[in-house]
Amino acid sequence: MAIVDLIPTRPLATDRPRIRIALGPGDRPLVAEGDAVDAGTPLVERLRDARIELVPDAGSAAAPGDRVGVRPRHARRDAERRMDDGELLFSDGGRQRVVVGESVDLVEAPASATVREVRSGSHLTIETTGRAVPGVLALGVPTYGRLDLATDEDGELRPGSVDVGRAGTILVVGSRVDAETLTRARAMGVRGMVVSTLPAKEERDFSASERRQRAALHQLPPFGVVVLDGAIRRPIAGPIMALLRSLSGQQVGLSIDPPALLFEAAESVTFDPDAIRVRHGSLAGREGRWAGPAGLRRFAGGVHLEAGFVRLDDGEIRALPLADLERFA
Amino acid sequence: MGRMTSEPRAFVAIDSGSATRSASLVGRVGDRWRLLGSLAAPSTVPLESIVELVVERVLAADPALASTLVADGGPDPTGAAATIAGSLRQVTATTGAAPRIAVVAATDRTLDRLTALARSAGWETIGMSVASADALAIGRLLLARDVDAILAGSADPPGGDERGALPDLAALLGATAQRRPERTIVLAGGLADQAARVVEGRSNDAEGGPVLAPAANVGDPPGEPLRALLDELAARAGPGRRTTVRAVAALAAVLDRSIEAVDIGRSGGLRIVARPGPPGAAPTVHWAVDSRAALVPSTIGDEIVDGVLAWSVVALDRHRMRDRLRELRDSPWGEPYGDGALLRLAAARAAVARLVAATRELDRPTAPDLVLAIGGAWAVAPGPAIALALSDVLRRPGASQLAYDHARLLGPLGAIVDPGELREVIADLADDLLAPLGGVVVPAGLRPGRTAGRLVVHAAGGSTELDLVPGGLELVDLPPGSSAVAELQFRDQVSLGTRGRRFALELGGGLGGLLIDLRDVPLRLPDRLDRRRELLGAWQQSLWAGLED
Repeated sequence: MAIVDLIPTRPLATDRPRIRIALGPGDRPLVAEGDAVDAGTPLVERLRDARIELVPDAGSAAAPGDRVGVRPRHARRDAERRMDDGELLFSDGGRQRVVVGESVDLVEAPASATVREVRSGSHLTIETTGRAVPGVLALGVPTYGRLDLATDEDGELRPGSVDVGRAGTILVVGSRVDAETLTRARAMGVRGMVVSTLPAKEERDFSASERRQRAALHQLPPFGVVVLDGAIRRPIAGPIMALLRSLSGQQVGLSIDPPALLFEAAESVTFDPDAIRVRHGSLAGREGRWAGPAGLRRFAGGVHLEAGFVRLDDGEIRALPLADLERFA
Repeated sequence: MGRMTSEPRAFVAIDSGSATRSASLVGRVGDRWRLLGSLAAPSTVPLESIVELVVERVLAADPALASTLVADGGPDPTGAAATIAGSLRQVTATTGAAPRIAVVAATDRTLDRLTALARSAGWETIGMSVASADALAIGRLLLARDVDAILAGSADPPGGDERGALPDLAALLGATAQRRPERTIVLAGGLADQAARVVEGRSNDAEGGPVLAPAANVGDPPGEPLRALLDELAARAGPGRRTTVRAVAALAAVLDRSIEAVDIGRSGGLRIVARPGPPGAAPTVHWAVDSRAALVPSTIGDEIVDGVLAWSVVALDRHRMRDRLRELRDSPWGEPYGDGALLRLAAARAAVARLVAATRELDRPTAPDLVLAIGGAWAVAPGPAIALALSDVLRRPGASQLAYDHARLLGPLGAIVDPGELREVIADLADDLLAPLGGVVVPAGLRPGRTAGRLVVHAAGGSTELDLVPGGLELVDLPPGSSAVAELQFRDQVSLGTRGRRFALELGGGLGGLLIDLRDVPLRLPDRLDRRRELLGAWQQSLWAGLED
């Protein structure tokens, strides 16, 4: 038994991840179980202005979840009186409650995949054919685009650095990003961002901006953000950055549930198995190699923790708590 | 699980939580079970590695012990630790994220009652009422992927403001039952009369129908029958912390002491109040779980941030605190030293405060004999600091012993099915599994002034005499394993469980010694955060050796 085994491992990439897309009542799945889809294939029409219409139930055999015909409320001429349809939520007292709406967002597949499960009103699951770098948080909607390294692993992207020349790309923006940069990137047609950390304030501000846009029924281009590490600033891990560099210029996808960067190039996933990364504490983000167990040691605050020696990238050897470290697997 | 102690001479107790995995090696030494070693690591570390390392270390410390651990016909006791570890029987407790229940009702009043009951039964809740949400929003909630069950209810009989909404609510539940036949639906109170509408139109191959339950205001105490039913349903999703409840009840019986236990973990908080019964009778146990009393709840709202800031001795603004809490929630083992340790203990205090606020029905007027800290929240803090944290939040007049389940043994031991065997193992291990944090005396009703009286502590090493200064914390050195008689003489009458001016108490020592806590009951702190931090820091400083490192 080696002490190094007590260091938590983090998967650099997982195979054939399953991705879930939330559906609400009224959302229309455009695919069926077993369908093969490519990146960009429309999966769902998501209602932005869902509402309930009361429709007389003339003994219809429709079950909850079925699509049923609804005549538009404000149609005046016969030509406008074509039947629209909506999703039956429930029937009661001789009336059907049908979820309808006029404005839709299209949710597209973020990667090549097979549709595994379609549960109208609840969720849709696809199994991608490629691999995924797991993250800890994601915002927005699933998306895809060409990967573009906007900064190095420790960089920070300012709003002024994002222009229309980046449209259609998924940007890698290093250690952190703010809400202003995210909203500007969305406005410039950027499809998504991959970032090491996102402070809670920026997350809230960006989510609020998204909600305001939706409330105004603005057509939002698909945009997603995947956070790889957490909330407190640290650079993107070396092995992940190396993988991202190898994927630069290639098409990748972003999954929201679970948070992940999706890619196809299986041969790109290589890393040094002895590499150690400091995930927490004052040295967070530093990397090095395992230099042996340090036993139970006393750390600040008189706390005793299982520790190990790590030879950091600058050659310095430090005794660090095992729980502050991570390895890639 | 079969009998653990009939044949084997050792077993491994495993506590597999959402943040931490721990393994404890329990072996037969002489004629009793002893804790031989334990180790905890983040839950992402393979369990085999943890078990193997514990066995390896125990064998390295005492090679002769190996032959006593391995059962007849087992592996070579001089062989590899991995082989010996693999041959040991295991008793395991597993805790994970609380199952999620969607709660719907006609009115907000009923919704609040149902939600509180579901939470105390171990569910994470998300609720809506017809009064405050439309059918579309409720339909979205009922169909959501991450919902494990549905609780819908009304008063019994339904109130005047509920009756009109029940048919629509029943129809919506019926539609949900048709689309999600696998989802358990509990109909409580007057809504149970609408069960026929809920099963109407359900496909013939769907299993069962809705579960009918009493209303939230029925029973003694009100809601208890519904809570018991919800608890039963939650248990089907996973044993959760129920094994800990069994073990604490057994401990109360073995020690013949009243116990209050607070278990703060990553996925929720558990509060247990156990009292030993008369000889031969089972102990009385009441308990409640609340997922919002996790060290850091899954949703970090402003009230959570403010709650931790109120206990924090580290100066952080709200945004920074939210970031730190998010990191603590996602990586509970990260930076458990320095400011990280202080933050963790502030979060633990806030979690206990939330737990106590959510479980008022478990409040007792006087302090229990033993206050027990359980769970990962306390994992790396020094014993005296844990004692102070408990004393800060659980404030009742009286005298108690404080202890900590340092090896995380209670959960797995509670998984021993046979009650007699559980009692036997706990009786043997009681001294090993409880780390004594110290004794604490909390008088209530002290009048402000220079002195409230005198304290004389008679211990084996001599006597100590102190002035009792209202608002202060007095610490008397009393090491673990020793006991003392404390004579307290107050100028005025105070409450120490009973009212009086003179008290003589026999108390045990611990890592924090004997704490005479003369602060207000409940604790009053300055409103200004900087002054509050200063005061909390000063108290903590006195009990946390090495804090300034």
